[in-house]
Amino acid sequence: MNLKMPYIRIVVIGALICLLPLVLSTFYMHIAVLVLIWAFLACAWNIIGGYAGQHSLGNGLYMGIGAYTVAYLVNRFNLTPWVGLVVAIILSAAAAAFIGWIVFRYALKGAYFALVTIALTEAAVYVVSNIPALGGAGGMQMEYRGNSLAYMQFAGQNGYFYMGVVLVVFILLLTQWYKRKRFFYQLIAVRENEDAAEALGVDTVKAKIKANVMSGVLCAVGGVFYAQYFLYVGPRSVFGEVVSVQILIYAIVGGLGTTWGPVVGAVLLVPLSEITRGQLGNSFPGSQLLLYGLVMVLTMMFMPFGIMGLADRLRQRWQHRSATPLVDSQGGEAS
Amino acid sequence: MTAMLEVRGLTRRFGGLVAVNDLTFEVNEGEMIGLIGPNGSGKTTTFSMLSGALRPSSGTIAFNGERIEGLKANKVCRKGLARTFQVVQPFPDITATENVMIGAFVNTGGGRQAEAKAREELERVGLTPKADTLAKELTLLQLKRLEIAKALATEPKLLLLDEVAAGLTSTEVDVMLKLVRQLNTEGITCIIVEHVMRFVMNLSHRCIVIDFGSQIAEGTPEEVLNNPAVHAAYLGEEASIA
Ligand SMILES: Nc1ncnc2c1ncn2[C@@H]1O[C@H](COP(=O)(O)OP(=O)(O)OP(=O)(O)O)[C@@H](O)[C@H]1O
Ligand SMILES: [Mg+2]
Repeated sequence: MNLKMPYIRIVVIGALICLLPLVLSTFYMHIAVLVLIWAFLACAWNIIGGYAGQHSLGNGLYMGIGAYTVAYLVNRFNLTPWVGLVVAIILSAAAAAFIGWIVFRYALKGAYFALVTIALTEAAVYVVSNIPALGGAGGMQMEYRGNSLAYMQFAGQNGYFYMGVVLVVFILLLTQWYKRKRFFYQLIAVRENEDAAEALGVDTVKAKIKANVMSGVLCAVGGVFYAQYFLYVGPRSVFGEVVSVQILIYAIVGGLGTTWGPVVGAVLLVPLSEITRGQLGNSFPGSQLLLYGLVMVLTMMFMPFGIMGLADRLRQRWQHRSATPLVDSQGGEAS
Repeated sequence: MTAMLEVRGLTRRFGGLVAVNDLTFEVNEGEMIGLIGPNGSGKTTTFSMLSGALRPSSGTIAFNGERIEGLKANKVCRKGLARTFQVVQPFPDITATENVMIGAFVNTGGGRQAEAKAREELERVGLTPKADTLAKELTLLQLKRLEIAKALATEPKLLLLDEVAAGLTSTEVDVMLKLVRQLNTEGITCIIVEHVMRFVMNLSHRCIVIDFGSQIAEGTPEEVLNNPAVHAAYLGEEASIA
């Protein structure tokens, strides 16, 4: 297959998606923006969780750092969100590097890593809730300053929608590009077998820290976008376990460690969860988390590699059937 | 000239058990060394220390004149000392080629170069027909070859081979023998741990015998085979040494 094909596919699909505002009503445009936000965040999580196989349950921490940084700087110092974006990137990179350094140097793995990350993101909820300058438990409202790219604010949803498309296309291209590079191969090696990776010259600690930073920074960018869209940040809406679980569930359902998986997961689940929240949210609080739990368990039972993994498997089976059996029986055993 | 590998007083304890006890030996460039001993005598533990996977309790390891004990495995590998694992350690969910590419990335950052290198190494070990098969779908024998290809892709100067002939049929042992000999003529120094005596004795210039972690003999294959101490150590395993 042509090596450029995956890139072309991303750009073409992105361009086609840009036509959606022509047909969608305001309500569905809102859902479409949400899909883009969560697709982007899930792609970001996919780097540490899917490719490197380190199941962080606390990437809300970085999303929250991004959202709160931009909200605070805009409100307090009247800065443009673009400056906030840069500061958010720096802060989240520092946090992700520090946490990664501590956690991976002491070889915390599997459930321990998951627990530490969830503890950190929950701790952030309490810390932020108790800082009056950050709005305390009530969070921060941001002022609407008018339809302008300089303020990263738009009248109506279309501006946000296009911005979301650009972000998702960007992260897909980035993922696709890294997939052919040493860095992602090393992450996959870490995920598959750390001892073997070390023996083949992979600095596994460094690779995991780098993945954590890349994932964290991108989640912070997602957080900035989220804050700009809602013009509101609250401790539980951007930090905390609910958002952290949301970030990862789309990637898991769509397919861990695949380029498109997180996007597919978000496209299928975000509308579903928005609708159930609207229908059940008031009469049945917590229904959203319950739904996530259910979907996750079903995914792990019936398609451990998510929708994209299942699609791959079906395609391979199809190809095997159409290939002559001879190809297979010439295996390496013969010599 | 100093030896390529100089091991002095190498010791490893696991609680009360001394798995490797005060091992001292040298390996010169271009040599093929057999490291033999009964089950549980400390061969794999020695390899793990040499390759940086395991910290020695005491002792020193110098590789090309540079002390490497206590370095992490990835650093040791990048200095040109690679190992294969007795219990094969593939990356199960990626293809054979991609498995080998991980090793190739030691010397190149580019995906295309790494892939070319990987395919070369797969060819060398006879796995080309399985290049695009997922590692988890390979047989044990194919996985043993994959172990060698992965290690070779890092372009080692010293290669530690841990029981690469175990479990192979007689003809397969011959193929493996030819492969390892070929590596040696290409300038790779090897230490071979192996219970298949025909394999080690054919390949080794020199053998080191350990028992309960301590060295009990050293010499040419014939000298070692005729050493009464070695026979005593292998008592009960007589069949395998004969
Ligand atoms: N991680 C460990 N913890 C505790 N004991 C260990 C560990 N690794 C090895 N040992 C013990 O150290 C001794 C040496 O083991 P090692 O695997 O090095 O032997 P070996 O010579 O490679 O044996 P074999 O020929 O069966 O592969 C054994 O008694 C083993 O049980
Ligand atoms: Mg062993």
